Amino acid sequence: MANPQDKAKIKEAALAKKREVYVPVKPDMQLGFVHNNVDCIGCRACEIACKDKNGLPPGPRFRRVQYIEGGSFPEVYAYKVNMSCNHCAEPACLPACPTGAIFKRKADGIVDIDSTLCIGCRRCEATCPFGAPQYIPEQNIVSKCNMCVDEIEAGRKPYCVMACMMRVLDIGPIDKIADGTYQTKAVGPSDKVSRQVRDMADPELTNPSIRFVVHTKGAV
Amino acid sequence: MTTAKPHAPGALIDTDRRGFLKGVATAAAGGGLAPVLASNEAAAFAYEPYPRDDQLETVVTSCAHNCGSRHMLVAHKKGDVIVRLSTDDGRYQRDGAFGKDTEEEPQVRACLRGRSYRARLYSPERLLYPMKRVGKRGEGKFKRVSWDEALSEIAERMVYLKTKYGPQALLDQSYAGASYGVLHKSDQIEGLLGRFLGMFGCRTSSWSVPSYQATTFSSRMTFGTIEDGNEDDAYAHAKLIIMWGWNPAYTFHGGNTFWYMRLAKQRGCKFVLVDPQYTDSASTYDAWWIPIRPNTDAAMLAAMAHYIWANNLHDQNFINRFTQGMDRGTMPAWAQNQESFKDYIMGVSDGVPKTPEWAEKICGVKADDIKKLAHMYATTKPAALKASWSPGRNAYGEQYNRMAAAVQAMTGNIGILGGCAEGVGKGYHNEAVAYPYDQYANVWYAAIKSDRWAHIVLNYPNVKREEVGLWPRNDQLDGVVPNIRGIFWQGSDWLNQLTNINKEIAAIRKWDSQGEKESLLVCMDSTITPTGIWADFLLPVATHFERHDVALPWYKGHYYIHRPKVIQPLGESKSDFQIFTELAYRLGFGPAYNPRATRDYFNNDDPVDEAYLVAWWEKVQHHQHADMSWEEFKKRGVYKFKLPQPHVAFRDQVEKGIPFQTPSGRIEIFSTVLAQTPDFTRTQYGSYIPPIPKWIEPWESLNSPKTAQFPFHMVSPHPRWRTHSIFNNIPWLRETFSQELTVNASDARKLGIQTGDTVEVYNDRGTCVVPVYVTERVMPGVVVLHEGAWMDIDENGVDRSGNPDFLTLDEPSPAGAFAYNTVLCNIRKTNLAHRPGWDQLASARSSVFRRDM
Repeated sequence: MANPQDKAKIKEAALAKKREVYVPVKPDMQLGFVHNNVDCIGCRACEIACKDKNGLPPGPRFRRVQYIEGGSFPEVYAYKVNMSCNHCAEPACLPACPTGAIFKRKADGIVDIDSTLCIGCRRCEATCPFGAPQYIPEQNIVSKCNMCVDEIEAGRKPYCVMACMMRVLDIGPIDKIADGTYQTKAVGPSDKVSRQVRDMADPELTNPSIRFVVHTKGAV
Repeated sequence: MTTAKPHAPGALIDTDRRGFLKGVATAAAGGGLAPVLASNEAAAFAYEPYPRDDQLETVVTSCAHNCGSRHMLVAHKKGDVIVRLSTDDGRYQRDGAFGKDTEEEPQVRACLRGRSYRARLYSPERLLYPMKRVGKRGEGKFKRVSWDEALSEIAERMVYLKTKYGPQALLDQSYAGASYGVLHKSDQIEGLLGRFLGMFGCRTSSWSVPSYQATTFSSRMTFGTIEDGNEDDAYAHAKLIIMWGWNPAYTFHGGNTFWYMRLAKQRGCKFVLVDPQYTDSASTYDAWWIPIRPNTDAAMLAAMAHYIWANNLHDQNFINRFTQGMDRGTMPAWAQNQESFKDYIMGVSDGVPKTPEWAEKICGVKADDIKKLAHMYATTKPAALKASWSPGRNAYGEQYNRMAAAVQAMTGNIGILGGCAEGVGKGYHNEAVAYPYDQYANVWYAAIKSDRWAHIVLNYPNVKREEVGLWPRNDQLDGVVPNIRGIFWQGSDWLNQLTNINKEIAAIRKWDSQGEKESLLVCMDSTITPTGIWADFLLPVATHFERHDVALPWYKGHYYIHRPKVIQPLGESKSDFQIFTELAYRLGFGPAYNPRATRDYFNNDDPVDEAYLVAWWEKVQHHQHADMSWEEFKKRGVYKFKLPQPHVAFRDQVEKGIPFQTPSGRIEIFSTVLAQTPDFTRTQYGSYIPPIPKWIEPWESLNSPKTAQFPFHMVSPHPRWRTHSIFNNIPWLRETFSQELTVNASDARKLGIQTGDTVEVYNDRGTCVVPVYVTERVMPGVVVLHEGAWMDIDENGVDRSGNPDFLTLDEPSPAGAFAYNTVLCNIRKTNLAHRPGWDQLASARSSVFRRDM
């Protein structure tokens, strides 16, 4: 158990270490997700579209729609939080990778893993506060959402977004999503977006590129 | 258009939507949506070698199966293998562009089941060759045989059974499961099998529809048609939507119903859910949840009618102009001495006013809540009371549906945009039939209530016509109970899906005891199914990816999707139409059965199918004024109609005074047909049905003394991760949801069970084993178990899959409604094992998080 003095030292050391080894890529423009927690029916078409697109076996789930409920009968509530990889501004996974397999794209800030370099050590899985990296035992690699870079490069949007039956999931430049200037059906006319949902990991950790329309019970 | 700049990666996701579309249009004009790369970053890509969509061949097709909707699937294939599926993105329709998605012509995006189709197409459960049973029935032992052997033996047995047991010996249990297209159609009443058996001259038909017979009856009696539905875009115009037992977040009725309701919400529409469960629809639309005891809906609706009349909130003009028998003034001249609906509601005739206080005791809903809802409904215009099918799948379910129609009518919410007369809810009328449709389309020699077949087999010949709902005939076969000796299952998993499975199995065991040759069970499907396990012959049917057809939404939606043969049929699978045609040739009526084909059809179906579809498209062009050539339709893959205004059922009747299709030409709250039926035992209903909607106590409910022994009421709604039983075997779907019994938290505390525990759910009809999900989202006393799990019986006859139909009762409501939701049961913790699927793959519950404890 470190004493308070040590704690301060540890913090200082950690900050110093970070400065030494990792300068996050500053993308020209950061793409990110926006999800409407309230209007989402939780159908998980996005999840299955993702599995099909990426040819995943049962087990690893790049995209996860979480069901949150609470209250007592009959005053109950429910909402959904839909997350894959948040393509963070300061991804925790990236510096954790011993082989440099994880990289952040300069053009759009997408965080991707070069699977030819991945050795399946699963460190990224441990460091990610949002559970994005998914280990695939059959291939002994870790893989995750890359926002369908092939689709984005072809001028389209990722499979999950194009699968959304309720049009509550979208991507766009995260700063425009955040300041409400990005036109998207995911955000209704009277909706505001937020960078955090209740019980989600602290966005200060990695600055995730995702915004939510939050349920009143999920507001922080 | 020339101003679009070259795109850096991601630049197409522009804040300016018009710029975004412009850019795409430019790229498209330049010969397809070629990737425009402007950066050397990220040359590495996660999944090399990995064909990108634009390197693959793109083929537009659709999903299939029996969900009430129909969405686009786009196959991306290499050679004869589908690499992945996407869905409508706005590009494929006329004047389409990537991202086009308007309120008038929305994209028809596939749900999770459709998106998983590749896993079903290439699943280990696919049937690839004809198989013949070698073990006992139900044992699951088969050997591969040739088509010739299988069809010869089936034809021979058919002739034998017809000769020995008469023209009613073979039971048609086709259903809409596998083949919903205009050409390759499986259908309970008029599909390819019905025509085949009818022409063969040996067919007992199953007339009651498991999903919605109560509402079919109600809509026919009340409006004279089942086309009482608006198109789904009409929902966007409602000011109040009451979801009565309706969960559009689970049951996709219409391509975009749930999305249009989201638009309604954004425009200020209020939502109410009357349901024992707080569903995802309730949370999405922020609905006021009114939990109600299952099977008591008619009582609550009656109380609403009482409140509306007592407070003079009804639309007397509408009542006078359009209804029969709503009140004394609208009773027909010939029935002046009979009871009107208002007489019944106000207690004039029976001395019991159907007040909210009266209903509170029955429904468990506070009288004040009933009043508040009735007030909201009667004073908000337009308001949509969507009386869903599920509460009709009950004892006397037809009374609920008819009661709802009466309440819809008394408030004048029929025939107006934003109102709702549903019922069945079938909307826009599509041109549905490309297969030969003639005098043989629905020939039958007996027609029974669909879930009474086992009762007939077990009790024959000591069965009365009214017990089994025999449809009347005008010849010597009227009232003759069929001696059923075989079943054809086409696109149907009915052994798993009808009520009281143990009784069905007993019926098959009775056949077993009568000798191998004396019965015949044939299952035609694309995969092995729990029903197929019991068959004598398994015939592999090509999926809709492997045959030529056109898809249509049968329920709501005004579009067609072309379904080419995307890949060649796997193994030796053939289309249903090929199989029936070949069997018909062997039985001597081949040319009549398939007039456009020769016997070569079995090996070469392409030109014949094309000819049928071309002829069908001509009808579409003439009847529906589709202004697109067949060749262009095939090239694009989709045709979306643009309607001048949202389609609203009965708009013409209300606006122009065109008569309704009932005997009186009015909305018959008091039914002419029912009032003039002298003897119900000689009708298909078998027992009395009152001419006006009434609350009738069901044979079991939370109000009955039987709760002492079986204290829980079980309902078995449709799951989202299966279409009935289809897709139960798909690992991708099984990891997103799992079969489990939803139990209220206070009940669970009393029983000492928690989420993840395994329980036995049981009553005097059967037992199944299933894990528990404990929640506050269901009312106390009610448990929920989704239908369609693939039965998996252990040596003691206990079902390990959690299939609720081991507990349901095979006694339909008088009008034919399956009483799927009229079930009392008990639960206890158990050491027995639950098996989520036939493989050993575990099904991981994706967690539900309680976030307020």
